[in-house]
Amino acid sequence: MNTINNNFIPDLSVDIAGMHLKNPIMTASGTFGYGEEFKDVVDLNLLGAIIVKGLSLAPAPGNKPPRIVETACGMLNAIGLENVGIEAFVRDKLPFLKKLSTPMVANIYGKTIDEYVGLAARIDDVDGISAIEVNISCPNVKAGGVAFGVDPRSVYQVVSAVRKASQKPLIIKLSPNVSDIATIAQRAEEGGADALSLINTITGMAIDIHTRKPKLANITGGLSGPAIKPIALRMVWQAVNAVKIPVIGIGGIVSAEDALEFFIAGASAVQIGTANFMNPSATIEILEGLTRYLKSNNMATLRNLYGTLVL
Amino acid sequence: MIQSDADILWNRKLGPMYFHLGLSLRGFEQAVPGQFITLRAQRQQSPLLRRPFSIHRLIQADNRVQGIEILYRTAGDCTRYLSTLAPGEKVNILGPLGNGFSLPDSGRIFLVAGGIGVAPMVFLAETLRQKSHPSEITIFLGGRTQTDLLCQKAFLDLGLRLELSTDDGSTGHQGLVTDLLKKHLTETKAHGIYACGPMPMLAAVAGLARSHAVPCQVSIETIMACGMGVCLGCALDDQVITDKYRHVCIDGPVFDAATLKFDN
Ligand SMILES: Cc1cc2nc3c(=O)[nH]c(=O)nc-3n(C[C@H](O)[C@H](O)[C@H](O)COP(=O)(O)OP(=O)(O)OC[C@H]3O[C@@H](n4cnc5c(N)ncnc54)[C@H](O)[C@@H]3O)c2cc1C
Ligand SMILES: Cc1cc2nc3c(=O)[nH]c(=O)nc-3n(C[C@H](O)[C@H](O)[C@H](O)COP(=O)(O)O)c2cc1C
Ligand code: FES
Repeated sequence: MNTINNNFIPDLSVDIAGMHLKNPIMTASGTFGYGEEFKDVVDLNLLGAIIVKGLSLAPAPGNKPPRIVETACGMLNAIGLENVGIEAFVRDKLPFLKKLSTPMVANIYGKTIDEYVGLAARIDDVDGISAIEVNISCPNVKAGGVAFGVDPRSVYQVVSAVRKASQKPLIIKLSPNVSDIATIAQRAEEGGADALSLINTITGMAIDIHTRKPKLANITGGLSGPAIKPIALRMVWQAVNAVKIPVIGIGGIVSAEDALEFFIAGASAVQIGTANFMNPSATIEILEGLTRYLKSNNMATLRNLYGTLVL
Repeated sequence: MIQSDADILWNRKLGPMYFHLGLSLRGFEQAVPGQFITLRAQRQQSPLLRRPFSIHRLIQADNRVQGIEILYRTAGDCTRYLSTLAPGEKVNILGPLGNGFSLPDSGRIFLVAGGIGVAPMVFLAETLRQKSHPSEITIFLGGRTQTDLLCQKAFLDLGLRLELSTDDGSTGHQGLVTDLLKKHLTETKAHGIYACGPMPMLAAVAGLARSHAVPCQVSIETIMACGMGVCLGCALDDQVITDKYRHVCIDGPVFDAATLKFDN
C-alpha cells in the first residue's frame, strides 16, 4: 500500500507542437467557447492550453435547429460550425485570451484548401496564438462534399498547403469516420504536422419514433461524450503506433481516470470536450485528479506514464 | 455566474407532477427574474447533460440571499430522479444564467403563465410588487386542469389580481388563458405583458400584444447543452425570430415578442 507523499509537486508539464504546457489538459474546440465564457468558474491560468471554437474566414451562421440531442451517455450535435469569423475573433476575443499565461490554440476549418490556407496565413503573424489546430472533418466542396479528413490524399494536400502558409506549430485534428486511421495519421505527419489530435465526433443519428423525423434538423450529427471513449482510445493508440509526432487524445474524457487511459495508450496531452457541459469545472477537477494519482503512486512526472501500455 | 453544490432544504410534492425545491447556496445576490440555472443531480453519466430551470424565488434571510427555489414538473429522467432526493442531499448548480425580464417603470402589468410556465412568475411578481401597487398587476394562470394552476397562494399573498382558466373547466374560465387575456386587454389599457409557457400560448399572447400595441416579453425554452453560450446548441431559427440564430441561453430566455415571428 502506497502512502501519499505530500512533499512533492508532481510535474505535469509537457512540450508539444513547440509549446511548453504547464500540464496536458486542453479544452476541446467548440466546447469552451472563446475561453472568456468560463472565467467565473475556471481559473483559466491553470489550464494547459485553451482551444477555441472552430474559426472560418467569414462569420458562419450555423445549421437550423434543433442542433443537439442527448443520447445514451453522449450527445449528437449538428451546430454547423457557427462562429464569429477570424476577423471578429482577432479583434474581439483574442485580447482577453492574450492576457492569460495559458497558451491559446486557434482551431480553423475551411470548405476548400484555399480557405484553410487563407486562415493560416491570416493568423501567421498574430501574437497570442501559440498554435493552429486544423479541423479536417469538414466537407470538401470541390470533392463533392466528402470530408477532407477521410481521404489520405486530401489529408496530405490540406496539411502541406497549410504548412507552407504558416510558421506556427500545426496540430492536425483527425476525423474518426475513417476505416484506417493509421494511414491518415501518417499522411498528416508527412504533410508537416507537428502534432495530431483525435478524435473529432463520430457521425450518428437519432429518430423521433412518434413523428418519424430525425431529431436533428441536419438529420445526422456528431456523437461526443463518454459513449465514444473506447473508440477514441483505440484510435489514439493506433495513431501513436503509426507516427513519431505527439498525439493529443480526445473523446469522452470526463475524469482523471479517463485521461490516464489516454496517457497510457501514448497520448501526450488530452482535450476535454462534452465534459465541460456536464460540469463546467471538469478541466480543473481532472487536473487535480491527475496530481492525486501521481502522488499516490509516487510518480514525479506524468510523462513517465506516456505510452506505458503493458501488452 | 457561480458553480456550486447546494444543499436541498426541502423538496415538496405539489400535486401529481409538480415539485417545489428549496436550495441553500450563495452567489445569487445579483439574480433577476427570468434568469435560470442549470442543475445536475446525479453522479452517473445518464442523463448526461445538466438541465435548465427558472429561478422561481430567492430565499432571503438577514438581508442576504441565502438560496434559491425551483418549481419543477417531472418530465423525464432528470426531473424524476430529482423528485426522489431528500433534504440534506446535494445538487450541483450553475447560475444565474440568461438575461431576465426588463422591468417597466410604471403602469398596469399583465403576467401570463401556462402550466409550469408559472415558475419564473413568482420572482417577477415579487420584484414588480416593490415598485407597483398590487392592484396594477394581474396574473393570468392557465392549465389543463385544477391541479396545474400553481402558486395561487403566493400571488394572493402579494395582493395581486388572479385570473384562472382550465381546459376542462375544473377551475375558473373553461378554455384558454389567452381568452381571458384578450377580454382584459379589450377592457383596460395595459403597459406591459410578461409571458411564460408553451410555444402556442406564447404565440397567442404575442399576437394579442401586437394587436393591442402593448410591449410584451416572453420566456422561451429550447434544449440546451451548456446554458452559457458556448455550445451554440440552443439557437432559434428564422421560423421563430426575425434576427436569425439568437441563442436562448445568452440572448434569452426572455425575448421581446416584437422580434418573434409567432403568428405565421
Ligand atoms: C430557460 C429554461 C427554463 C426552464 N424552467 C423550467 C422550470 O422552471 N421548471 C420546469 O419544470 N422546467 C423548466 N424547463 C424545462 C426543463 O428544463 C425540462 O423539463 C427538463 O430539462 C427535462 O429534463 P428530464 O431529464 O426530466 O426530461 P427529458 O427526458 O430530458 O425530457 C422530457 C421531455 O421534455 C422535453 N425537453 C427536455 N428539455 C427541454 C427543454 N429545455 N425545453 C423544452 N423541452 C424539453 C424533451 O424533448 C422530452 O420530450 C426550463 C427550460 C428552459 C430552457
Ligand atoms: C457542441 C460541440 C461543438 C463542437 N465544435 C467543434 C469545432 O468547432 N471544431 C472542432 O474541431 N471540433 C468541434 N467539436 C468536437 C470536439 O472538439 C471533440 O473533438 C469531440 O466532441 C469529442 O470529444 P468529447 O467526447 O470530449 O466531447 C465540437 C463538439 C461539440 C460537442
Ligand atoms: S445552451 Fe449552449 S449555447 Fe445555449
